[in-house]
Amino acid sequence: MSFTTPTIDWAAFAPIIIVLGAGAAGILVEAFVKTPATRRTVQLALSLAALVASLGVIIAQWAALDGAGTVVMSGMATVDRQALAWMAILLVFGLLSMLLFASRDGGGAFTELGATAPGSVEEKLARRAGLQLTEVYPLALFAVGGMMLFTCVTDLVFLFVALEVFSLPLYLLVALARRRRYLSHEAALKYFILGAFSSAIYLFGVALVYGATTVTDVNMIGTAIVNLADADPLLLAGAVMIIVGFMFKIGAVPFHSWVPDAYQGAPTAVTAFMGAATKAAATAALVRVMFVAFAPLEWELSWLVWAVAIASMVYGTVVALVQTDIKRMLAYSGVAHAGFILVAFAGLEGEALTALPFYLLAYGLATIGAFAVVSQVRERAEDGGVGAEAVRLGQWAGLGKRSPLLAGSMALFLLSFAGIPMTAGFIGKFEAFSAAIAGGAWPLVLIAVLASAVAAFFYVRLIVLMFFTDAPEGAEETIAIEDGALTRVVIYVTAAAVLVLGILPSGVLNLFADASVLLVSVGG
Amino acid sequence: MNPMNYVILAAILFSIGAAAVLLRRNAIVAFMGVELMLNAANLALVAFSRIHGELDGQIMAFFVMVVAAAEVVVGLAIIIAVFRARQTISLDEPAELKG
Amino acid sequence: MQSLIWLAIALPLASAAVLLCLGRRADAWGHWMGVAASGGAFLVGLGALIEMLGKPAEERALDTTLYTFIPGGDLHVDVGLLADPLSITFVLLITFVGTLIHVYSVAYMEHDKDRRRFFAYLNLFVAAMLLLVLADSYLLLFVGWEGVGVASYLLIGFWNYKPEYATAANKAFVVNRIGDIGLIIAMGIMFTTFGALDFATIGELAGNASTATLTAAGLALLLAACGKSAQFPLQSWLGDAMAGPTPVSALIHAATMVTAGVYLIVRSAPIFEGAPNAQVVVAIVGAITLTLGALIGMAKDDIKKALAASTMSQIGYMMLAAGLGPVGYAFAIFHLITHGFFKAGMFLGAGSVMHAMNDQVDMRRFGALKGAMVVTWVTFGLGWLAILGVPPFSGYWSKDKIIESAFVGEGWQPWVFGLTALIGAGLTAFYMSRLFFMTFHGKARWTDEVHPHESPALMTVPMIILAVGSAFLGLILATGDRFTTWLEPVTGHVEHHEPVLPVAVIVALTLILVALGAVGAWFKYGRAEVPQEAPSASLATITARNDFFQDSVNRAVFQRPGQHVTRTLVYADAAIVDGAVNKQARGWSSLGSASRKLQTGQVRSYAATMLVGLVIVIAVIVVGGL
Repeated sequence: MSFTTPTIDWAAFAPIIIVLGAGAAGILVEAFVKTPATRRTVQLALSLAALVASLGVIIAQWAALDGAGTVVMSGMATVDRQALAWMAILLVFGLLSMLLFASRDGGGAFTELGATAPGSVEEKLARRAGLQLTEVYPLALFAVGGMMLFTCVTDLVFLFVALEVFSLPLYLLVALARRRRYLSHEAALKYFILGAFSSAIYLFGVALVYGATTVTDVNMIGTAIVNLADADPLLLAGAVMIIVGFMFKIGAVPFHSWVPDAYQGAPTAVTAFMGAATKAAATAALVRVMFVAFAPLEWELSWLVWAVAIASMVYGTVVALVQTDIKRMLAYSGVAHAGFILVAFAGLEGEALTALPFYLLAYGLATIGAFAVVSQVRERAEDGGVGAEAVRLGQWAGLGKRSPLLAGSMALFLLSFAGIPMTAGFIGKFEAFSAAIAGGAWPLVLIAVLASAVAAFFYVRLIVLMFFTDAPEGAEETIAIEDGALTRVVIYVTAAAVLVLGILPSGVLNLFADASVLLVSVGG
Repeated sequence: MNPMNYVILAAILFSIGAAAVLLRRNAIVAFMGVELMLNAANLALVAFSRIHGELDGQIMAFFVMVVAAAEVVVGLAIIIAVFRARQTISLDEPAELKG
Repeated sequence: MQSLIWLAIALPLASAAVLLCLGRRADAWGHWMGVAASGGAFLVGLGALIEMLGKPAEERALDTTLYTFIPGGDLHVDVGLLADPLSITFVLLITFVGTLIHVYSVAYMEHDKDRRRFFAYLNLFVAAMLLLVLADSYLLLFVGWEGVGVASYLLIGFWNYKPEYATAANKAFVVNRIGDIGLIIAMGIMFTTFGALDFATIGELAGNASTATLTAAGLALLLAACGKSAQFPLQSWLGDAMAGPTPVSALIHAATMVTAGVYLIVRSAPIFEGAPNAQVVVAIVGAITLTLGALIGMAKDDIKKALAASTMSQIGYMMLAAGLGPVGYAFAIFHLITHGFFKAGMFLGAGSVMHAMNDQVDMRRFGALKGAMVVTWVTFGLGWLAILGVPPFSGYWSKDKIIESAFVGEGWQPWVFGLTALIGAGLTAFYMSRLFFMTFHGKARWTDEVHPHESPALMTVPMIILAVGSAFLGLILATGDRFTTWLEPVTGHVEHHEPVLPVAVIVALTLILVALGAVGAWFKYGRAEVPQEAPSASLATITARNDFFQDSVNRAVFQRPGQHVTRTLVYADAAIVDGAVNKQARGWSSLGSASRKLQTGQVRSYAATMLVGLVIVIAVIVVGGL
């Protein structure tokens, strides 16, 4: 047998290489820079520089592309505008999250030393020595890089690799909370077991599809399915398993169970990143799989999309109504949003490809902003210092009086989640639903609108609580409002973005409309 | 021997692995179940590769092994951290996050 | 300048943003920037006016599209501004009176540590109000509508450290929301009927729609107008809104925001054109409110609340005029303009009095202030003459026209509306004279520690300017029907209709009633002793003092059932704030409580959920696909 060495278009991968390379460099920094304070500065600077540079390269590539894109490694990956748009979104989320990671409100989001047991002597010693965990920066870079890879890969096995590249760092990040470490550990363990379980399901699906079609390339699967004589149970089972793997990452019912637990237990900065970026990356990959690979199976699979979308919207909304923990409430709201995202998949390809990036951008910005606000409202520790986050809803009563800007931003994010006009969320929902209507899925849209109406209730409830309810006597002393510069920057930037995208969406919508064609090319 | 039998074996192994995750309380054993599922997929890939008479599936299996190894590292790290904190690796014990 | 009219919105908006963002750093100069922003907006409006006057009447309207909100598809939404005679009239009123009130506030709020924030809100209000009147579609109008609502909420509750003030702000907010629902419904009806929300398209297509549709839309618009303009039955918030600083009452709750309802009705003329029944309802609401307001005004001892009742009543006049159709539109707006001047002037006067009297508002402790505060007395007096409708002051020109128009028509309507408006004029004369005499004439009934003095020039100059306007504006605009001709491109040309009574008779009757009212008030409150405590009174007076028990009615009809709902759904009080969600029962919540049990916390059950879901899906799809 003779092999031809594949030619790899490295330039097309430049944005991803920059991010992953910076992650690797970050590991070296971890090993060679001794002083914790310096190390933090170096890591933060390195991460931000890498993300900004990558974003710059993406903009340059966007400008250079004229409609088509680059097929890398014989069809293993496709860098087209759609992929670039998703990568840019992920980089924006990464940048904002990185600022949250670096924030030192209440001593920072992360534990001093992940290896120590909570409450142990080692933990106290590490705290006294002023240790500061900085592995989170390279971990986050790997996650961002993996997600970017996830959006452009067009080979199912390579997709599995990318899936693990971004999942593994996330499992670790979830475990590294500074406070409530037991919860953090529990969340990480659950997230990990379920994540590994779902990726095994995904991989077995890939094997089945490979068996049925002899290929794993997303573009070629589509062609191969058309050539198959009749529906092959192997193919259908494999397709379902693959899609289930993505739906797990998006957090759709019944594959959502990790979402509330992981969101609640993880350090809030990580929750923000995870909530925004994981959903976006998984949606991007699902777009290619649904609209390219399994497009010929549309009829068979639409049942799955409809059922899961309805289940997610209804279940997420209904359970969010009864939550008392703010992070958990937002997590269930994320489950409902997974349903709204799937609604767009029931629509026509062109519209959906414009709607989905916008929806995820709007949702992600509001998510990062909302969790950033959560990280600012703290309990007062017994020694008078700043303690863990005040996540019980009741603790937020009267926040509007104490910190109008914070509460106002939160209200804006909540309104955006609810899809109230003049916020980005409204435009996102509008675009997603009109894509579905164009695809004839109006019953689904009807349910989606009803679910939005019910969902608006628990968002507004929190707004009412913040602005129109007085804090109980003496409760004010037990709550401390942090004023971290980095976090505040993130909050105001996301709030402004949510507002601008709600009022002036046409520029961004036109960009995504430019990106709404998937490059389908059958590689050799 | 008909290579399709290997595919059936892979399906059986996959089911055993899934059952281990569902049924075993011990985190390590549950994790081994997940690994078994991954390896079942590997077996299926190799078997299909044989059926189709090409090498792609076998090469994929190597990728999967590498990824699985990385997953073990991360998974064991988390399990050990949990063990240090709680002195147990029962999957049922930490259940404060619910509802 | 007409195409640059967006600047008028942008200037105060930018100023508000700067003031809010800079925080304390802007304390030293922030208020002057607020004044400058408002003044700049006025200059832009003035420029647009001059440009428009240079064009022939039918070419004066200019619709500029700022940008496309939602491009393409079934719904194409543009954001555009419409500068036509009607909107420019409002722009000039808002910015001119607004700027004067800004200047006044510099002195009035001098000792408030949050003066900068006050100016930021005031600028925000001006920007939102300008957006409301300049919008070229209901959608954008709605944005401004909500904006003024928010600004009004912030300003009523400006001194929110007093719980009852915060309550007043909440009350205004909630009542306004009820009105907003009307606007949303109206937009829904119009969008489904016409497929668009901009005034131009709706004006074109309104003729094709059925009467039933137009009536529904008209009534929904009326509900919106009632909320914003404090018309019956949504009038209850205006009195409490006086909790805000007095310049706020002058600007928002007398001259501009509360008149937005009238603007909405006039702007929606094409809708009402096809819905005569809705039009009659508008007129009836106006008639009820003008009477109700006058009666409440007769019983109030709080100077600001008496003025608020008067505002309500005067807007009732405008509503009545707007409900008369094209005959009344121009006069509704005319009265709105003159009212804006004299009522704002009187509110500023009231503020000046409060300034002198240590922020007291009880007129029973005023009296004989004319000697101590000559400028305030004279300016207030001019406003008083104007609102009474004494010729040749402004109010005469506008109110008399409304009364005359009310007598136009057939059947029962001219008699009911005409006589209501006529008697209303007499009542107005009585309660306004009562207010005037109790405050400035009679014997001094001051509490011991007050030493009244005239206010500083920063406060008196705006009062003087407004007083000049109250005196002459009506005459200037009415001469040669200047104002009605100016508005004609918007309100339409109307053939002259004869009232059911000769005009001379109507004018004479009005003046006689006004004279009777004023003289009656003089005998009771000017010459006679005014008791320092409110005397025990008849049932009628008590009813009026309590705003016709509107709060009790609201409580019984809306609030109780509403609270019952909110208590079960939202946390109603501090005691149950914590953990209250668990107590929520019924409906969705119980469904949620049941569903959340699926999330057991056991990772193995999660995996089982996933696997069961997967197996079901595969079974259905594979079996179904074969």
